[in-house]
Amino acid sequence: MNILQQGLWALLLWPHLFTVSVPLDCRDDQASLARCPSISQEKLLDRVIHHAELIYRVSEESCSLFEEMFIPLPLRLQSNQGGYACITKALPIPSSKSEIQQLSDKWLLHSVLMLVQSWIEPLVYLQMTLDRYDHAPDMLLNKTKWVSEKLISLEQGVVVLIKKMLDEGTMTTTYSEQGAFQYDVQLEMLEYVMRDYTLLTCLKKDAHKMETFLKLLKCRQTDKYNCA
Amino acid sequence: MMKNDGGVRVFWLLLLFLLYTRGKSFSVPGKPTLTRCRSPEKETFTCWWEPGSDGGLPTTYKLYYRKEGSEKEYQCTDYHTGGKNSCFFNKNDTSIWVNYNITVVATNALGQALSDPLNIDVYFIVEPNPPENLNVTIQNDKGWPFLRASWDPPTKADTRSGWITLIYELRIKLEEEDEWEIHHVGQQKVFNIFGLQSGGTYVIQIRCKPDHGFWSEWSDDVQVVVPNYFPNKRSAWVLLMVFSGMVFLILSWLLHLNSRNLKHCILPPVPGPKIKGFDQKLHKSGKSVDAFKSLEVPDFPHHTFSKSEDFLVEYIEVYVPEEQELMLEKSNNLHNGCLKSESSVSDCDSGRGSCDSHTLLLDKSGHQTNTQDSQTDEQKHGEALQGENLAYTHQDMVSPDMSAGRVKTWPSVFSPLPQNRSTVDQTSSIEIAKQHCLSDSLLPSDFLTPYHSPPGHCTREHLGSNYWEFDFGNKQPHLTQPQTEACHQIQAHSEININTGVKAEPAAHKFPTPRSNEYVEVQRINEEDSVVLRPVASNYDKLFEMQQGEDYSRVKGVDSDNVLLLLQKEAMEEEMNMCPCEQLTDTTGAHYTRFARSPEKPTACTHPTPQPLEERVVNGYVDTATMFTMPPY
Repeated sequence: MNILQQGLWALLLWPHLFTVSVPLDCRDDQASLARCPSISQEKLLDRVIHHAELIYRVSEESCSLFEEMFIPLPLRLQSNQGGYACITKALPIPSSKSEIQQLSDKWLLHSVLMLVQSWIEPLVYLQMTLDRYDHAPDMLLNKTKWVSEKLISLEQGVVVLIKKMLDEGTMTTTYSEQGAFQYDVQLEMLEYVMRDYTLLTCLKKDAHKMETFLKLLKCRQTDKYNCA
Repeated sequence: MMKNDGGVRVFWLLLLFLLYTRGKSFSVPGKPTLTRCRSPEKETFTCWWEPGSDGGLPTTYKLYYRKEGSEKEYQCTDYHTGGKNSCFFNKNDTSIWVNYNITVVATNALGQALSDPLNIDVYFIVEPNPPENLNVTIQNDKGWPFLRASWDPPTKADTRSGWITLIYELRIKLEEEDEWEIHHVGQQKVFNIFGLQSGGTYVIQIRCKPDHGFWSEWSDDVQVVVPNYFPNKRSAWVLLMVFSGMVFLILSWLLHLNSRNLKHCILPPVPGPKIKGFDQKLHKSGKSVDAFKSLEVPDFPHHTFSKSEDFLVEYIEVYVPEEQELMLEKSNNLHNGCLKSESSVSDCDSGRGSCDSHTLLLDKSGHQTNTQDSQTDEQKHGEALQGENLAYTHQDMVSPDMSAGRVKTWPSVFSPLPQNRSTVDQTSSIEIAKQHCLSDSLLPSDFLTPYHSPPGHCTREHLGSNYWEFDFGNKQPHLTQPQTEACHQIQAHSEININTGVKAEPAAHKFPTPRSNEYVEVQRINEEDSVVLRPVASNYDKLFEMQQGEDYSRVKGVDSDNVLLLLQKEAMEEEMNMCPCEQLTDTTGAHYTRFARSPEKPTACTHPTPQPLEERVVNGYVDTATMFTMPPY
């Protein structure tokens, strides 16, 4: 009966399958627009960039908040020191402009995707750990939660963008390296705090990286954009 | 070996000692401090440090750095590009999103000093150069100019590829001012500025900032002079003055127009007693008589004012027998148009009317003097009416007592009859009675109006079923009209003024033909209890122009049914018109009619033919259409 019902529903709703299934995958030709309401590549890219910008802004605010609340002045450095490197260090992402500009669109997009996917899990951890703080302000918690959500949507956008721009299928490879992050290590309070601080600063940095990559990608479309 | 070492040490110590003895001090260099590091375009960066004390010895500074994730130590290669005490990192040495650990080492002969390490990330220290090529032009927009500022991004910043995104900020001020007006521009490179002062000189600057980074320095000033688009400041002032002057004139004009209203609004006048014609000054001076004099009507015979008794007026029904008429005629011949102001007392006092004039007459029978009477009450009047052939006459006593709004007649109202009365004039003895209401009208005009009411007032109030009053309208004067002397006497008896009547006496005033009233005054009372009336010259007709002349009928008598028998009007009129009394005999006139209380129309005065037995009443007045026959005169 269940299968029958499902079959019946599928029959009844079969036109919706086309509309609901992959709204972003429609082709840009005029004929398909009527049947398939999707957004154009430019708009999608703009939205993705906007997402990245927002994520950067919120992560920067979170880092400042955390720094004010929990980090004593002498330790307030712009970057981490000590043994806690950013988790994305291992990613094969160039760090100089010349190198980056030599990257292809594909690699740019993939790099962004890698970054996004590698941050999803640590953000979950960050939310968990921030709850344990005694006086963590609600704003900090809200912001990290927000970043976490936005990263997921950013990932979806980048995936679609890859599909649009590169005509590639969805890649299910995840780049998150579970082993890079050790959750269970019992640390002293200060180290605890420093680790979280490092996490936030790295998040800020990577958000900026994503934004820059996407902007580079956007300005490469010279016929559509005028980045001068 | 050991000796050499010892020798070197000794040498150095000696040197130091020597130096020390010479008064100079040398020390290790002070600790340098890294002040800041900046990247103008996110591709290169420069770091500056502040040297400590040099210790008196030449000191060298070296910058070492390490990159994140590597222990390799690099040394700065370019110490000159950034200026003194700086280190410039070129593109190859710059990595974005990578932590740098930078240290400066100061070295002199005696030692070295290490600065505190500085951790930086290039993406975080971006501070671009100011925008370049700021160009401000004056654009014209239909006579109202505006400024258009345009600029270029700093040369090194690679905005073209999107590597760095810059947002701009512009500020402007007048040359002589101190405060800047800041405009946030965004990513565009053109900006319009409106709302400029005519003829002013403006100074404009611009700066930029990457989306995450520091603001650049302000660019150099650009000055621009705005042309005088406002034609002439002075003319503008002139226009303004003219306009405000006009507005002021209009306002003052309006104020002047409404000054009275405003005065009333702001300073309401204190109401004071005002009587028309009343001279307050005279009154104040104590001469009340004089003061009241002004209230008099000039033509008004006023000699009776002084007599209080004169103020009583009564209606008197008049029945003048023929002899009396003749007598009247004769007597009137003596004084044409000269009426004595015979006082007649009539009292139209709230309709009580007249009416005890009967008694009055009795009292004063036999003389031609004015009969005076006090006001009689209603009852008396009624009796009088019922009892006899009542000949009422107005006593032309005027009572200025207007307290109850009563009608008073002026005894002296009646001036000598004018000889040249036209037929239109109507007088009747009854008119006198009427005049007692009318007479009031001889008073200042205020009293005129009561005439209308009081007679009716008089008449109505005393609606006795037994009697009623008629004011005979247009038709009637005839007998009593003073048109000619001959006619006067006839008038005397023809006038009937019935005070207490249902008929709306005011209706009587709606005579179609305006006629002035002529009045009759009591000449004397003959022995038959009839009042001999004499027409009164109607100088006052004008006063009563409003009131149509009322024609009166002569009452023949009252029959058993308490019906007044009146003489036909036309007959009388005809008689009057014809004037010679002999002709009166020809009139038929002898129609009697019964009068009920019904308003009747006035008949035209100019119909000499006696009407058949019809009842025509003048607006409520009984028309003596059909009357008893007139005995020839």
